[in-house]
Amino acid sequence: MSAAQVFIGVILPYVTVVVFVVGIVYRIKKWNKAPAGKMTLFSAPATPSEKWKQILKEVLVFKQLFDGNKSLWAGTWIFHAALLLIIVGHSRVVTDFPLLWAALGMSNANVDTMSNVVGGAAGVIVLAMGIYLLVRRLLVTRVAEISDTEDYVCLGLILAIVISGDILRFGPHFDLNVSREYFAGLLTFQGGPAPSNPWFLIHFFLGQILIMYVPFSKFLHIPGIFYSKSLIYQR
Amino acid sequence: MNTISKNSTQGHEIGQAEMDKVVAAVRAIKDGPRSLQLYMDLCAKCGTCATQCHVSEADPERRTNPAGRSDLIRKMFNEDGSVIRKIASALSSKGSAGLIDKKTVEEWARDFYECSGCRRCAKFCPFGIDNSVITRKGRAILHSLGLTPTRLVDTQEVSNKFGNDEGFNRAAFMDVINFLEEELEEEHGVPIKIPVDKEGAEVLYCGASADFQNSPDTVMGYAAFFHAAGIDWTMSYEACDAANMGLFTGDDPHMKAKNKVLHDACMKLGVKKLVIGECGHAYRIAKFIGGSNYWGKDIPYQITNIFYLAADLVKKGAFKLDPSRNPIPVTYHDPCNFARSTGLTEEPRELIRACVSDFREMTPNRDANWCCGGGGGLANLDSAEGVKKRETSFQEYRMNIGGKKKLEQIRATGAGYVAAPCANCKRHIDQLMEYHKMDVKVGGVFDLLNRALVLKNGN
Ligand code: SF4
Ligand code: SF4
Repeated sequence: MSAAQVFIGVILPYVTVVVFVVGIVYRIKKWNKAPAGKMTLFSAPATPSEKWKQILKEVLVFKQLFDGNKSLWAGTWIFHAALLLIIVGHSRVVTDFPLLWAALGMSNANVDTMSNVVGGAAGVIVLAMGIYLLVRRLLVTRVAEISDTEDYVCLGLILAIVISGDILRFGPHFDLNVSREYFAGLLTFQGGPAPSNPWFLIHFFLGQILIMYVPFSKFLHIPGIFYSKSLIYQR
Repeated sequence: MNTISKNSTQGHEIGQAEMDKVVAAVRAIKDGPRSLQLYMDLCAKCGTCATQCHVSEADPERRTNPAGRSDLIRKMFNEDGSVIRKIASALSSKGSAGLIDKKTVEEWARDFYECSGCRRCAKFCPFGIDNSVITRKGRAILHSLGLTPTRLVDTQEVSNKFGNDEGFNRAAFMDVINFLEEELEEEHGVPIKIPVDKEGAEVLYCGASADFQNSPDTVMGYAAFFHAAGIDWTMSYEACDAANMGLFTGDDPHMKAKNKVLHDACMKLGVKKLVIGECGHAYRIAKFIGGSNYWGKDIPYQITNIFYLAADLVKKGAFKLDPSRNPIPVTYHDPCNFARSTGLTEEPRELIRACVSDFREMTPNRDANWCCGGGGGLANLDSAEGVKKRETSFQEYRMNIGGKKKLEQIRATGAGYVAAPCANCKRHIDQLMEYHKMDVKVGGVFDLLNRALVLKNGN
């Protein structure tokens, strides 16, 4: 049992949760409190329910980007969609869902195959798109000229997490039962050290750094998009 | 225009006291409007806005990149922000080190007056970030330092003194009205009145005072329209100008004071409707920024635009229009403040279609139109006076950079007349056509109506 396993596995997760929750709540409270004058950008939806429908649609399909920049739209939409899929897929690292699989009529082997194919593909796609976004940021003048350390840190962090995650999936076998056992302990506050696999430790550590970084960085665009769009679509 | 001697604070040297003011104003954003708070945090630096801004497209440079311009304020703000962002910006090559210095603030005066506040970037930004809000914040800070371009400050002072940007006193205003009435009678063969300060009228009409000198045909069009429609209307000397430089200079007190002139006139004359004319920012302020937002939800008059009145009556066939009287191909320029900030896009088109024989759309149009390059007060600026760091005059800038996209668009239509219902757009596009030796006339929509209108007993 190494110090890293204890720090990353036993101490950091609780810090991560506290930092993330406190940070996000603070931000959202602040946005809610801030005076919001009308600044309608036409053509805006006519009613509040249409407004939220449109916002949801735009958030799901990145409509503005589709109109504004097709190649970026393709790259970034696939990037975000694959990330979302991967995040959902990670629930299997934490626990398994035997009842769900039974309801779907899937055997263990079926589930593993699906996970390998879909998760594996998403892992490759997200890496490819992440690299595309990085190259674009470095080479396309109009993007490079406004890119700052923060932009590279954010993208680099995600890429590092994706790469370590892909190694866990495609590299030497990583037994999910080990991680499930660990997370079960963590969730009941009787956590043991994190699994000793070094790629798991790197992956898990960086993942937690990312989560803590959200309330203090441009990753705020995830909750913020609903606020900023709501402002311009308010009639 | 009457001129007033230079504002005493203009061209003020920037010292420590001024720098402190700048820093304090930027710091205050953290408790400022929700829009600004969000815009400090959300920009993903995706570069989309750079390809959707007419300035940035015409002159692709970091300084014209909307996100880059907004960074002038954002970086200063972040330097004050979270520890992590502080570290990030300190590490950055274009970081904020040295951002808060005199030279940079002088550059603000140049850079924030290159954005025309057209809000097109907001239309395409994945988060709907409206960079014009940051531009206006930058301009407001500049204004507090006396760094607003001279011409705009002068115009505000003329307006404070006379109630209108043109500096008309009552006698001069009445001269113009009398002249227009004579012209109207000559053109239509019947007397057409332009009532002034008529108490109890139903409608108070108000547009940009610049129109009286620069676009008399537009004003005659309004009068002919009200006459033909049988609407009981009036103008007001005190409120003969709905233009409002406060939107452009970031000077909120001025914006409110100028809007109060309209409100007071409505109350004094007891009108039921305040009708704004062909002027985008004037209508935006009158209805969407000022109006009931300033003077209470239950103001006893409605605020609307003359296009809604006219399009409605044209639809009902209330008067006879002869499109063959406007035979040259006409295209329509959507003023940004109409299309994106008030949603007025269809009514002018309906009117034009009824008045001309060859109407051509430019693309893109409506809420996706390219700004003409004269928005945000730029149309009023010719020399670079008051802006230390401008390498070229504002006029050269508008002709070669700000107006480039619009020039291409107009060219592509092959039209001989650009209908641009906004005093700022009209002045700028007119200069643009002349500068580029285009044989294209620029005017309003009501100029076309004035010509197409067939009056009973008249012509
Ligand atoms: S408001 Fe218009 S001029 Fe200003 S940055 Fe946005 S697109 Fe460009
Ligand atoms: S489009 Fe929006 S998010 Fe992208 S760089 Fe411009 S302001 Fe930032």
